[in-house]
Amino acid sequence: MSNYFNTLPLREKLNQLGVCDFMDSSEFLDGVDALKGKKLVIVGCGAQGLNQGLNLRDSGLNIAYALRKEAIEGKRDSWKNATENNFPVGTYEELIPEADLVINLTPDKQHTAVVNAVMPFMKQGSTLLYSHGFNIVEEGLQVRKDITVIMVAPKSPGSEVRAEYVRGFGVPTLIAVHPENDPEGKGLVQAKAYCVGTGGHKAGVLKSSFVAEVKSDLMGEQTILCGLLQTGSILSFDKMVEKGIDAGYASKLVQYGVEVITEALKHGGITAMMDRLSNVAKIKAFEVSEELKTIMRPLFQKHQDDIMSGEFSRIMMEDWAAGDKNLLAWRAATGETAFEKTPAGDVKIGEQEYFDNALLMVAFIRAGVELAFETMVEAGIKPESAYYESLHETPLIANTIARKKLFEMNRVISDTAEYGCYLFDHACKPLLADFMTKVETDLIGKNFNEGKDGAVDNSALISVNEVIRSHEVETIGAELRKAMTAMKSIKTV
Amino acid sequence: MSEPVVHITNLHLRYHHKTVLQDLNWTINRGENWLLRGSSGSGKTSVAKAIAGLVKFEGDIDINFDLHSSLAPVAHYVANWYQFKDLEGQSNFYYQQRYNKQAEETTATVRAELENYGKNYHLDFAEAERLVTALGFSDLIDSTLIQLSSGEHKKLQLVEALWFRPQLLMMDQPYNGLDKLSRQHLNSLLEEISAAGTQLVLISNDKDLPSCINRFAEIKGGQLHETDAGHTAHFQEEENRPVPEFLSEGPISLADSIVKMNNVNISYGDKQVLKNINWEVKAGEKWLLQGHNGSGKSTLLSLITGDHPQAYANDFSLFGHRRGSGESIWDIKKRMGLISPELQWYFDPSATVKQSIISGFFDSSGLFRQPNYTQQMQANELIGYFGLKEYQDTLMNQLPLGKQRLAFLARTIIKNPELLILDEPCQGLDQHQAQHFNELVDELCSNGTTLIYVGHFESQLPACIEKRILLENGEVKSVETILESI
Repeated sequence: MSNYFNTLPLREKLNQLGVCDFMDSSEFLDGVDALKGKKLVIVGCGAQGLNQGLNLRDSGLNIAYALRKEAIEGKRDSWKNATENNFPVGTYEELIPEADLVINLTPDKQHTAVVNAVMPFMKQGSTLLYSHGFNIVEEGLQVRKDITVIMVAPKSPGSEVRAEYVRGFGVPTLIAVHPENDPEGKGLVQAKAYCVGTGGHKAGVLKSSFVAEVKSDLMGEQTILCGLLQTGSILSFDKMVEKGIDAGYASKLVQYGVEVITEALKHGGITAMMDRLSNVAKIKAFEVSEELKTIMRPLFQKHQDDIMSGEFSRIMMEDWAAGDKNLLAWRAATGETAFEKTPAGDVKIGEQEYFDNALLMVAFIRAGVELAFETMVEAGIKPESAYYESLHETPLIANTIARKKLFEMNRVISDTAEYGCYLFDHACKPLLADFMTKVETDLIGKNFNEGKDGAVDNSALISVNEVIRSHEVETIGAELRKAMTAMKSIKTV
Repeated sequence: MSEPVVHITNLHLRYHHKTVLQDLNWTINRGENWLLRGSSGSGKTSVAKAIAGLVKFEGDIDINFDLHSSLAPVAHYVANWYQFKDLEGQSNFYYQQRYNKQAEETTATVRAELENYGKNYHLDFAEAERLVTALGFSDLIDSTLIQLSSGEHKKLQLVEALWFRPQLLMMDQPYNGLDKLSRQHLNSLLEEISAAGTQLVLISNDKDLPSCINRFAEIKGGQLHETDAGHTAHFQEEENRPVPEFLSEGPISLADSIVKMNNVNISYGDKQVLKNINWEVKAGEKWLLQGHNGSGKSTLLSLITGDHPQAYANDFSLFGHRRGSGESIWDIKKRMGLISPELQWYFDPSATVKQSIISGFFDSSGLFRQPNYTQQMQANELIGYFGLKEYQDTLMNQLPLGKQRLAFLARTIIKNPELLILDEPCQGLDQHQAQHFNELVDELCSNGTTLIYVGHFESQLPACIEKRILLENGEVKSVETILESI
């Protein structure tokens, strides 16, 4: 197997990277018809597997779960999830030969093994569905030519996919058809029907490609979504403790602050987040974030380059082969950081205080979102994709930090994201060392507005606002958010 | 005479920019147990929350605890519904999550919750076990919180409150969702703790009260007025308006049989919650579904509303189609209207009254799409019919309970459904409101709509009810025609 993307001529590389269309709701008028009466077999019954299956069945489709013999005999969690919800369960041998659509919802790392085990049983002309394209694009797995290969990727955790469906809504979803495997031209119709079955069509659907999904997903998760949130959290916490702020307060300000701050992002983008600050604080946050962008831009570019060239996948797969040696060591080290080990203090922090006392965090988030977006777009990824993989997902990931800090974030995200997150974090901290020596508690830990009269220069404020508001992530974001205004707000504070 | 326990002078309180309480004065002396009545939105809850220090107010509230008492020196407020959290300390649950098998492990068991509560307040666990038994709750001690029905959550909340034994216990709608027997048990437990020194303030419009209640008051016009025991509040008569034209025609039922269940069984592990249920609801029939807390009513309804995953493993038909034969839950929901405590808890808190009513067209718990012109016009007609015009742009959850229930009824009937399922729609309403609500149900169902109505109290039922099914421990205890008995 060799990296699929690297086998393509440049023209085709750009062609596949540049696919991203926001689909009109009229594209989904046929509902689930294309899959009605067909046999859908889901491989794997974890959070995504179970919740997607529940939605599909409630949409009138025929669902069964294929599990490995050991999972069935050992009555493992996947077996329990499926049987206790009254789904038929069987081995690959029993169920795959009957299946019209085989849905692979196992973890990335198992894809090659699972697909190789399943493929011999798949009937002529059937369809294989992925929710992440790593296996196809980075590992270059070749699927039998008579099989149609599609992707439907709900952009939320499994429990959210279910919760939104029963509310009568859905979660934003990305769909794609693999151009090497669409022998009958039915891929798109089936992907759309599947999307209706999970409720995704109500919340906005992006038509993408396997290549665009993988390259943008990897970039987003390594840099802004996980990497920068980890770096920013640790540096902010350490700085506060260094400057004598109570550790319990510092821990709480960071843990819940990322969520409260990014909640504003979800509703109105960077503009709304920056508008939560006073005028003086906004101008300061703008200056700090510009400086951060300058410092971090080369690192963002390196990550994008390594993702495009396949270098990232190569070293990560080396680590898979070495039994996750680096991943496990880095995971353990994260668990030992002072931020992770200091419980949030029993102090009340008001909603506005999370902004006023954490100007540095706001600056980190603006810098990270804009850099990730800009770097992706420069690399040939469409702005719509870049928006989803940067700004859109930031609040969802921040929510996991609010729940149980970095450990929880790294538990919830995929191993691939986790690996990339540590890579970024280790390179980013030394890069920011000089910058951090200048940071005082007015930027993190105390109210920036304290002792200031709030006066600003009109023209300075206007030009700052102009730069923030006219950024492409804001214009494309405003358009895409209109389609998903009803997304449930995530609150833990 | 010793100083009063609570002494309130000139209490002012605003709720969402509206003045609720104004110059309210109230003294609670030792040995007194009060009942607070008042129409929905009058400010009963606000007074109690102010005493407990849970809301901001102006004016003075002096509280004098007995420092020699062994009871906790606390004015403890018990809300009208139980909000539980998952193991990560969140209460981000979603509608019908309790039927998702995977979700169970995310919440604690009743036992673990009580152990934790006892540890926090240094209480003796044996007492909790006694209370659990007294409220008929012991079978559920190893269930997880998310599996409990609304009545069962209420019981858990009551156990915790009674166990805590504060010097002043203020309970908001303590009888909500409780069946008759449980209400009696609760009353004897309240009498018991009162005899042991806890003073009570009950907020309720119910009639069957513990005998220890010795003072009565009504909140009206922002102030507290002491009344006698038998006093019933005076209410304004509701205007009678004609039913909107679009609802006067009966819904078209293509099937004679709306619900048909053949030996339906539901179990969670070893616990069987429904056993061999056989039940048929024919088009146009008006049914009353009754049973004790935990008898299986809400599970039975969740099968009909398409919300229970085990529906697929049972033999039953809805609207003449075998369940699981290729229909989606949205095909089913389209043909029925539902009000239930759960639906209300999980409803989108950012929806206005008008948006909530329109969402009935789409069966979603909030409005997520653009309604067309006809849909908006029909919503306007209904808003007029239910007298909700002045509230139409208010957030649903800021409406007084009685109005909120009317708005939910409007949401339920806006699409003129074949089947109306009303699960305890009068919970928490006063007698007058319940009567008004039920009269509207009678009027709306007279066009041939099929009705399944769940209600604990015989006095609060629509007149059109003609049949009754009684569940006991998950089994059908009796099915009868009750035309005469009401």
